[in-house]
Amino acid sequence: MPIWRQWNLISNFSRRDLKAKFNGTLLGWAWSLVVPLATLAIYTLVFSVVFRMVPPPMGNGNDGVFVVWLFCGLVLWSYFSSCVNGGIGALLGSGPLLQKIYFPAYAPVLGAGLAVGIQSLIELGILAIVLVILLNVSWTWLLVPFVLALFVIFTGSVATIVAVMNVYYRDLAHLVSVALQLLFYLTPIIYNPDIVPESWNGIPLRAIVELSPLSQFVGLFRAVIYDLTAGDLGSWVAVAIWTLVALGGAMLVMKRRGGDLSEAL
Amino acid sequence: MTDIAIKVDHLSKTFRLQTERRNSIKEMFVRGKATGVHDFHALRDVSFEVPRGSTFGLVGHNGSGKSTLLKILAGVYRPSAGQVLVDGRVSALLELGAGFHGELTGRENVYLNGAILGLSKKQIDRSIDQIIDFAGIGEFIDSPVKVYSSGMYVRLGFSVAVTLDPEILIVDEIIAVGDEEFQRKCFDHLFELRRRGTTIVLVTHSLTLAAELCDQGIWLDHGRPQALGDVADVIDGYLLDVNARESASRAEAEAAGGEQVGAGAVVAPPVPRQGSGEIRMTKVTLHDAAGAEVGFVTPGEECTVRVHYRSAQSLREVGFGLAFIHESGITVAGPNSMQDDRRYDIEPGEGFVDFYSDSLPLQPGAFNISTAIVDKGHTYDYSDRETELRVRADHAVREPGLTRMLGRWSAEPSTPVRGRA
Repeated sequence: MPIWRQWNLISNFSRRDLKAKFNGTLLGWAWSLVVPLATLAIYTLVFSVVFRMVPPPMGNGNDGVFVVWLFCGLVLWSYFSSCVNGGIGALLGSGPLLQKIYFPAYAPVLGAGLAVGIQSLIELGILAIVLVILLNVSWTWLLVPFVLALFVIFTGSVATIVAVMNVYYRDLAHLVSVALQLLFYLTPIIYNPDIVPESWNGIPLRAIVELSPLSQFVGLFRAVIYDLTAGDLGSWVAVAIWTLVALGGAMLVMKRRGGDLSEAL
Repeated sequence: MTDIAIKVDHLSKTFRLQTERRNSIKEMFVRGKATGVHDFHALRDVSFEVPRGSTFGLVGHNGSGKSTLLKILAGVYRPSAGQVLVDGRVSALLELGAGFHGELTGRENVYLNGAILGLSKKQIDRSIDQIIDFAGIGEFIDSPVKVYSSGMYVRLGFSVAVTLDPEILIVDEIIAVGDEEFQRKCFDHLFELRRRGTTIVLVTHSLTLAAELCDQGIWLDHGRPQALGDVADVIDGYLLDVNARESASRAEAEAAGGEQVGAGAVVAPPVPRQGSGEIRMTKVTLHDAAGAEVGFVTPGEECTVRVHYRSAQSLREVGFGLAFIHESGITVAGPNSMQDDRRYDIEPGEGFVDFYSDSLPLQPGAFNISTAIVDKGHTYDYSDRETELRVRADHAVREPGLTRMLGRWSAEPSTPVRGRA
């Protein structure tokens, strides 16, 4: 069954996740803003005030503002990591259900991703408002939806692969939390990639950092929304290839491993 | 192909059981490939077809593969070999309220469950009032389901599954939920769905229900089909098998237990009894038409209840009484020898008194027998429901009730039964 036929199911799963998450909390929906803004404040304090990180200048020629520059990267990062973690939990959580009724395994994973995405959209809105206030706006913003669309497909695919494989190999969840930490520091979110040494003990550190898929996405997103350039063609191609690879991998995993999940859960 | 809703062709399902599961990468590296793997054949070479609009029953012992078969039909499991074609939108009732989330309200859960069953929001919008009405949970529909009673929970689950107009309904042993009123509503609704042409596949241990509701059926035994076809034949075959097994196991138990009784024969009753005790009932045995002792009796057949006693004295004009009590506590009958002017003069020692019926009027079920040995207002011995009486049919019984009322029907309409009224 094509994926858009499952839209109703996916959106219902995400609604369930959102409601279950905020029911019974005093602040309710406000938490979805408090947590990322607190993270933003902490990182800004540590890296801008303590470590004196200097952000690149903005696209409109003004001096860079670290907190805004950081926010651009952090929005994408928190979406990615929450999707992967949430997807693992969502699929395991639907285990009892999957043993009773058939539905595709990616539905709860993408449902969790959609729930995260709604929160990320709110963050994006705040980011956009701040940039407008700073008068850092240009036609390149029209490219933002394309970057985000590719990023959503990429993230959804990775989350599906990890969630499905985690059912068969349960220690993947532990591995993922380590890998996400590594990936966080491997991606230029809190630092400028220019400060990474070309090579360290013979390891081409700069190339590793720049070629990792998340760096490509973060770099391209910052280019169109913060630097106000169209991004170089190489980045666009790289991002498209990463997305296709991830999507292909997810489809393969669903086909090969998705059908027998109910027995392994 | 359009008149066949479900076609199962040489279906087999094998589960790989591992004595130790390797589902962590470390274990795979450290201990190598899993050992002690063996296959469990849940279904072997099952084939049948279910015509559109008919009702199909699955019967068999626990662990015979019925639920596995239902899960394959519902698409939850994939067949290991063979083919399954299911043509139509399936609604599976494998567990009521399986998809409910405690924090969501009943109404929100209806939408979630409907989405899981593959419906669009519009389709659910159309049915929501009917669902709420059918579940009968009133204003609770807008409370989180975590505050529901278990009855409300399953009622809402059942309503969702059956009201969303399924083309093929797959029902596992779940009808035994809710109160009496809701159960009746469920049955009525199943009949209504059947009348409207919904294809139903049903697992039930209530053979009466299966006989009433199903057109065709299959009897599975350890994953192998034993009988397929008209539901009455399938059930008869299954019942004969169950009865044969029960007789065998009872005979075994009796053989094992008999020695003990012989060795430590006690005069005192095994459980405290009422009565003065000059004479005691020692045991009650059941006998069939040929006089052989049996473990259970069959409706409509000849049957003898033999009350064995041991007396310490000579007693005159002793009456015997029996009471047949259903497991629900209802006393169905209480034949009494004095009613028939039978009183016995008893000599010291052992003996027995028989109660014979040429056509046992009880319906299948679990009964107990109480015995009384009395003399004009004086009770020598009274045993309260000490003896079990199992009534087993060798065919499906379609009449409700605890007893079969004997009588005759008119031969023609508007004609009294000959010689009466």
